[in-house]
Amino acid sequence: MTRPVAQPFTEFRARDRVRALLDPGTFREILDPFARVESPHLALQGIVPQGDDGAVIGRGTIDGVSAVVVALDGAFQGGGIGEVSGAKLASSLEQAVNDNRNGTPTRAVILLETGGIRLQEANLGLLAISEIHSAIVELRSFGPVVGVVVGTVGCFGGMGIAAGLTSHLIMTRGGRLSLNGPEVIETEAGIEELDSSDRAGIWAMIGGAQRVAIGQAETLVDDDADAVAAAVRDVYRTAPATAVPARSTRIAAGRRLLAAVDPTGRPTPTDIRNLSTGGSL
Amino acid sequence: MNSTNDMRWQMRRARKLERLASVGSLANGRVVETGNLVAFLEAVLRPGDTVALEGNNQKQADFLSRGLAEVDPGRINDLHMLISSISRPEHLDLFEKGIASLVDFSYAGAQSTRVATLLADGTMKVGAIHTYLELYARLFVDLIPDIALVAADKADRNGNLYTGPNTEDTPTIVEAAAFRSGIVIAQVNELVDGVDDLPRVDIPGSWVDFVIPADRPFQIEPLFTRDPRKITDVHVLLAMLSIRGIYERHQVTTLNHGIGFDTAAIELLLPTYGEKLGLRGKIARNWALNPHPTLIPAIESGWVDSITSFGGEVGMERYTAARSDIFATGHDGSLRSNRMISQVAGLYATDMFIGSTLQLDPLANSSTVTRGRLSGFGGAPNLGSDPHGRRHSSPAWLSLSEGEGQLGVKRGQKLVVQIAETYGAGATPRFVEHLDAVEVGTAAGMPIAPVMIYGDDVTHVVSEEGVAYLYKARDLEERRQAVTALAGAGPVGSESTPEQRAQLRRDGILALPEDLGVRRSDASRSLLAAKSIEDLVTWSGGLYDPPAKFRSW
Repeated sequence: MTRPVAQPFTEFRARDRVRALLDPGTFREILDPFARVESPHLALQGIVPQGDDGAVIGRGTIDGVSAVVVALDGAFQGGGIGEVSGAKLASSLEQAVNDNRNGTPTRAVILLETGGIRLQEANLGLLAISEIHSAIVELRSFGPVVGVVVGTVGCFGGMGIAAGLTSHLIMTRGGRLSLNGPEVIETEAGIEELDSSDRAGIWAMIGGAQRVAIGQAETLVDDDADAVAAAVRDVYRTAPATAVPARSTRIAAGRRLLAAVDPTGRPTPTDIRNLSTGGSL
Repeated sequence: MNSTNDMRWQMRRARKLERLASVGSLANGRVVETGNLVAFLEAVLRPGDTVALEGNNQKQADFLSRGLAEVDPGRINDLHMLISSISRPEHLDLFEKGIASLVDFSYAGAQSTRVATLLADGTMKVGAIHTYLELYARLFVDLIPDIALVAADKADRNGNLYTGPNTEDTPTIVEAAAFRSGIVIAQVNELVDGVDDLPRVDIPGSWVDFVIPADRPFQIEPLFTRDPRKITDVHVLLAMLSIRGIYERHQVTTLNHGIGFDTAAIELLLPTYGEKLGLRGKIARNWALNPHPTLIPAIESGWVDSITSFGGEVGMERYTAARSDIFATGHDGSLRSNRMISQVAGLYATDMFIGSTLQLDPLANSSTVTRGRLSGFGGAPNLGSDPHGRRHSSPAWLSLSEGEGQLGVKRGQKLVVQIAETYGAGATPRFVEHLDAVEVGTAAGMPIAPVMIYGDDVTHVVSEEGVAYLYKARDLEERRQAVTALAGAGPVGSESTPEQRAQLRRDGILALPEDLGVRRSDASRSLLAAKSIEDLVTWSGGLYDPPAKFRSW
């Protein structure tokens, strides 16, 4: 008899996830649910808004260093980015840029549990996501920006790009990372292109184990609250910011991979692993 | 007259011999080639035949049903189909094409909307909608099949069948035909040469007339797998109330569970909440149950003594084989299931049935039929009824006896428990003044309404408001008050007054969470022994191999 872990990180909702990554007792929330800054667009479309608009902004410390940890709540509208949640993320990251500039080293961790844009407020969400992208790129020059994708929603759409821009991405086997989600691809391109009910097949393509194996994420971690928190601290303890160029700056490697893929065939997850580690099909 | 040879009393056998002869070169001994299926069926079938087609909510003889739907309706027509579960589109194509005209069935699950339509326009006539056990029983009495179409995993050239973990209905259907001069035809995933090449023989070859290798393995659905991720805090509360208010109070040791998320929550709470209450060894020891993956933590923690299974469950093959103290296994080591035997076991040998419902009326009549769908029944009405013929007693059964009984003779009662969250998906109330089943039954011209569990069999109802002990209600008014007290906000619940609830609590007919020592704020997913399918795999030591649709890795 083997018992599973006592505290799966995926069992925590956004607020508890943020708290778990900050030093004990240091969590302080910016614009908590009682600030009642919620989406003005959802009620008009018959959707009950949520007091934090599905985004939790936490300040505190990580190993004693000032930190901002932001999280999207996958249980609210699939973690979709709307005007308010997007603005909360973008401005808190921009504030971290300012803090760093003004001499207060500030770490930034982004917990990504999101389908991307919230369709009910898509244009405003898109604008916010571009601001989030800019802030992540700017923050990278001060130190590692850590992304965490554990599930159960995964990370898709414009926020999949945000994950790609981080300097260090931590995933679990259950986490998924992609641009279009499997259901969207099946709807748009047909079940011959992709069967979204083949869960094992989906995870083999875009799950955490595969993303780490092909170098699109750095750390594979168990779905365990203590393990995820340790993995985040380890990034700052062991990896100076300048050690490895960020994934999104490795243009040549990306071009080589693209050139090696034959889009007329149907490469398997194993093929992609071989290609990305320097082999060929 | 020499009565031994009087052919007037052996017409069924004579007809069988005539059919066997007409097959001619389409069979080589007992073996029919895959590509000859349709021609073979046209040779062996006769218009008006009664055909038992294997198909339940798990395993389907789908190669044979697809072939049957391709026969020429000019040659083969007016068939009377006996199908325990109408699950596949071609089951209904048979009627639209004029191959079959009459059906007796029990469950229609995925096809329930189309069944309602075909009935309404007269394309399909229904003998009756049965429970599983009734339909199987009638195969031996007045619905004796001329042809049995079944599915097996492997066969040898002499017709010996290996059905493996998913034996399910096959022996029953074969027996009904084989000993009445019917013709038994089995589709098999694999044909082997001799009996030594089979892992074991589940059905002897002398009961089987023909075997046909199928074009692909028979369809099988993992119907009893519930992903723990979808269990909510409310399910956990319902589970806590059930464990304290029913399992513990009545000391229930023999039981059957439905397949809802609330009973899955109970299974996952036994090793945590149940352990804290010191209930291991005192409750939930002997089960009539399919190999539910969510029961793995309880089994691994030493809660379970035995399980008899109606069918197998996809992915549980290695686990059940490795836990042969708990599950029935053959000499080859793999699970043996049998639906008819387990149904009888669930009816007569268990003290409790507990399951979810979609609609409950104020007298506790319970139904999963909703408007526009005629889904029929599976085994729930058999398992969820008090068998009046029962004579053995047990503490749980006897704990429901009230006084000396109406006829002055003391007897017990089976616990039949319905769990009804006050509101279901889309804010649909579960407690309703009138069941949709009544209207659906009338619209389909059924002689009786398709009620799943009759109110007079329901002894307990659980909602997040508490537990109602309906067996203690002295009259219908008291029963009605006890049910409406659990209905929560809404028209049915608003009937209930605080005075009524106080009196019901004093009389022991109603228990609120606080009466049972359950704190609502304790009801959290953190109590679940497994929170994901992955956790179940971990508990099983890697023996459970979940199908692709349940994986998140």
